Amino acid sequence: MSDSKNNYFVAAAVVAANLDQATKISQKLSLTASNARVVMLRAGPSAAGFRPLTDAIHRLADVTVSSSKKINVIAATLNATSVEMFRAARAVKYFKAVYQSVEGGSTYLHSLDGIFERIKTEYEALLTLHRTQVKRLFDELDRLDGELRAAIVLKTLCLTEASQAEGQYKQSFVSVSENVEGTVNDIKKLIKDSQQQVALLN
Amino acid sequence: MKVEKLYEDDAHKWLAFGRDPSKVNGIIDTNQYMVTSENNSLLIDPGGVELFSAMLANVIKEVPVEKITHLFASHQDPDIISSLGLWDQALSTAKLHSPWLWEGFIRHYGMKNISYEPIADDGGILMLDDITLQFVPAHFLHSSGNMNVYDPKAKILMSGDIGAALEDNDVPLFVDDFNSHVSKMKMFHQRWMPSNEAKNDWVERVRKLDIEMMCPQHGRIFKGDDVKRFIDWFDTLEVGKLNVSR
Repeated sequence: MSDSKNNYFVAAAVVAANLDQATKISQKLSLTASNARVVMLRAGPSAAGFRPLTDAIHRLADVTVSSSKKINVIAATLNATSVEMFRAARAVKYFKAVYQSVEGGSTYLHSLDGIFERIKTEYEALLTLHRTQVKRLFDELDRLDGELRAAIVLKTLCLTEASQAEGQYKQSFVSVSENVEGTVNDIKKLIKDSQQQVALLN
Repeated sequence: MKVEKLYEDDAHKWLAFGRDPSKVNGIIDTNQYMVTSENNSLLIDPGGVELFSAMLANVIKEVPVEKITHLFASHQDPDIISSLGLWDQALSTAKLHSPWLWEGFIRHYGMKNISYEPIADDGGILMLDDITLQFVPAHFLHSSGNMNVYDPKAKILMSGDIGAALEDNDVPLFVDDFNSHVSKMKMFHQRWMPSNEAKNDWVERVRKLDIEMMCPQHGRIFKGDDVKRFIDWFDTLEVGKLNVSR
């Protein structure tokens, strides 16, 4: 077993913590969208183009929050499986040591055979479950990453709309676009780190 | 790991396991014991995780694994029972006898298959086929919920931490010179045992028992007159002292 594999339950815990943080940051996106809508209403017809953008920011926030929560649950389940797998791997290791130390020298060694087979089977089943959960986690992170990539377009569109707004509202819309960009970048960093952690689990 | 037969009468046996040369550095040396009867075996203070493989390897030289039907943990410490999670994989229907006080704590070591049989504060009895084993209270010596095992037929008292000594790994299994052995026990008892009242209670209790051999979980086993010598020495020792030198 490699060193990174020895840290598999640590990696899963880091992913769970990252996604918890991402959920909190995503909630800021909702706030940004609500603020943008208020500014838009005050700005009148010159900011009408902002409506679909604020809807898109809201949708992005909702998708990010729900996806982060989902990934968090998968990571927490994976973490529990990892701990079980660690225990099972340890049992296999200690039982192997028994066989190595008494090879040919114990009347009752065979009485362990059924138990050792069961322990190895349980470990194999946990390995399979772990692989399935890792793939699910990887897919979900990839899906969220795709949503966030699309969010970069939002920033550009916000800036375009800001340029058409009247002078006193222009800066507010520029701030909205900057908030969207900053928040999305923060979440993307957490997702990227999580993807690297999941890569350790493969 | 050395295995020493302490008593044998047909199927009734006491075995001591200890002085494991492959033991990981830095962990305290421990003695484990096993009592066997016709169809059952009791593992007494089976030890820590690091000792599990050596213990199981030696135990199955003596009995098939399905014959290990009972475990006993004198108290909750890791050197006593942190191997529980692994024994739990090996012994799916065994019972663990330990003070009631520690059930919620000991389960942290991992226990899905073995069942917990709580021992009441005033002790109890375990029948191993026709062999009667008594759980003798030894609270606060050192743990606040603590038991010894007494076998009236074999006249053996497994005394847990009472009688323990801090020594090198490869010393003899039996006390050969009580007076020189005292220096290896004194600090252990004064620092790890907090209560003179509890100590006096135990002394009074065990003076009534017919003991041929007293088997601690660390250090050497006391035989014959050395058992009485130990009880007399312990009776006068002041425990619960902080500033004692090693």
